[in-house]
Amino acid sequence: MRENIKLYLTAFNTALQAKFEYRVDFFVGVLTSCMLQLSSLFFLWVVFHQTPSINGWMPDQVILLFGMTAAALGLSELFFNHIWFVPSYIVQGDLDRLLTYPVNSLYFLLITRPELHAFGNLATGTLLTSYALIHLNAPWYAWVFFPLFAVSGCLVYTAALVIAASLSFKFVGPTSINLFVTNILLNATRYPLSIYPQVVQIVLLVLVPYGAFHYLPASLLLGKELNLWIILVTPLAALFFFWEAGWFWRWGLNQYESTGS
Amino acid sequence: MRPLQPPLTLLSSFQSYASYFVRCLKASFAYRAATITNLLTAAVSYSITIMIWRQVYSQNPNLLISSDQMYVYLLLAGCVNYAMIMNIEFRISQRIRNGLVATDLLKPVDFQIAQGIQAISDGFFNGSMGIMVFLCGFFVFGTRMLPPDFPCFCLFMISFLLGFTVMYGVCFVFVQGAFYTYSGYGIMASRNALQLTFSGVSAPLAFYPPLLKTIADWLPFKHIIYSPISIYMGWAKNADAYQLILQQACWAVFLFVLGKLIMKHALKQLEVQGG
Repeated sequence: MRENIKLYLTAFNTALQAKFEYRVDFFVGVLTSCMLQLSSLFFLWVVFHQTPSINGWMPDQVILLFGMTAAALGLSELFFNHIWFVPSYIVQGDLDRLLTYPVNSLYFLLITRPELHAFGNLATGTLLTSYALIHLNAPWYAWVFFPLFAVSGCLVYTAALVIAASLSFKFVGPTSINLFVTNILLNATRYPLSIYPQVVQIVLLVLVPYGAFHYLPASLLLGKELNLWIILVTPLAALFFFWEAGWFWRWGLNQYESTGS
Repeated sequence: MRPLQPPLTLLSSFQSYASYFVRCLKASFAYRAATITNLLTAAVSYSITIMIWRQVYSQNPNLLISSDQMYVYLLLAGCVNYAMIMNIEFRISQRIRNGLVATDLLKPVDFQIAQGIQAISDGFFNGSMGIMVFLCGFFVFGTRMLPPDFPCFCLFMISFLLGFTVMYGVCFVFVQGAFYTYSGYGIMASRNALQLTFSGVSAPLAFYPPLLKTIADWLPFKHIIYSPISIYMGWAKNADAYQLILQQACWAVFLFVLGKLIMKHALKQLEVQGG
């Protein structure tokens, strides 16, 4: 176990160092991911220019959701970004090499291609979350719990990507449509889930539990009539969803046929 | 030294561009799966925007424009935005990265015009998808999706074509950055961020806070989506519409010349690895 962890850490470290060789890519990536986050915030500004709140949620409260989403996205892009390449690896037969390594194929794949623009999302997420917590006069324990919720969010988002990528084993194609939909659904949770129809809320709380890592904790923090046991839901949802993703990955591998080239 | 090939006549130039256009169009249709993917993801994104505005209108129904007009605007913005999708940043930056741009520059056609023709072929394909979205909107909103009169429609068509030219000009200027950074993602994402904010794709510019609106007025992005749609919906009529069209034409010419100048400079430091 200890040897394995050491191996994964070395693989991640090597991949990260290789990425840092492209310094211009790093600066451009960070700058553009910050710009994309800013562009979403500008839209929020336009919306709040027309109304004081969205379904009872004030600007600072929605910014908290924005920040948590950006932080979870940044963490996933930094540590587990390689999953985005699975559909094209399946088409080109590049997965064969990985399957011959004496490691867990999923964990090894996930950590061996960090994305540098993740730092932009991570920085923006941290800044926005801190800004919102300060303006909402959040209690001290919120500062302890919210980083844990961001990590849970990263696991939930990555697990959703793994499930989506596993479907590519069955439905082979060069595009990553299922992964993009996963990303868009995450973006949808930057706004309070209560603005969506009931079916969408159930999907985003139960089937793909994005709402569990920021909407529920934020609702609790902001006194929106929820029970304290909700605090437990976040890490449990993340762990359960990640376990489920592992099951989907194994199912996908059983469907895998090499290209034979 | 004599040139290897005699200079092309106007007619043969036109024939080259025409056959190039047909080839590009066929290529666009060959990648229809990827395009339908984009259409689906865009549909989900737009649904989110529409649900947010629906919530805003449920709390504050007396906004500058009615909720119906807003939904029609958002649908039209989606159609126009979709027709404006061009992959030139991805294509050019890839070719710069792997050195294939060197072979493009050897061809006896103008690089900027050839890329423009490829963008038009993208527009034809994506536009057909945009029309499908328009028809879905027409099914829901009926005649409210139509312009108030025929002159509005004619002016919209002119404005739309100029908007397409402005969009191409913006993309071409941005992609010149790939000659220096060799990064396609950064260029595409930064242009996309600016366009999402200042083109009016998620809300009419009249809804913007004064500071954002002032910035939008000074940038070309609003002429890609907001200007054509405000003419289509009859918000800008007569002198206002002509003024918008004139501004679009000025931006189109300016961006075309700017793209040419930047490329001339960028080519001086282009390095292509052999082997």
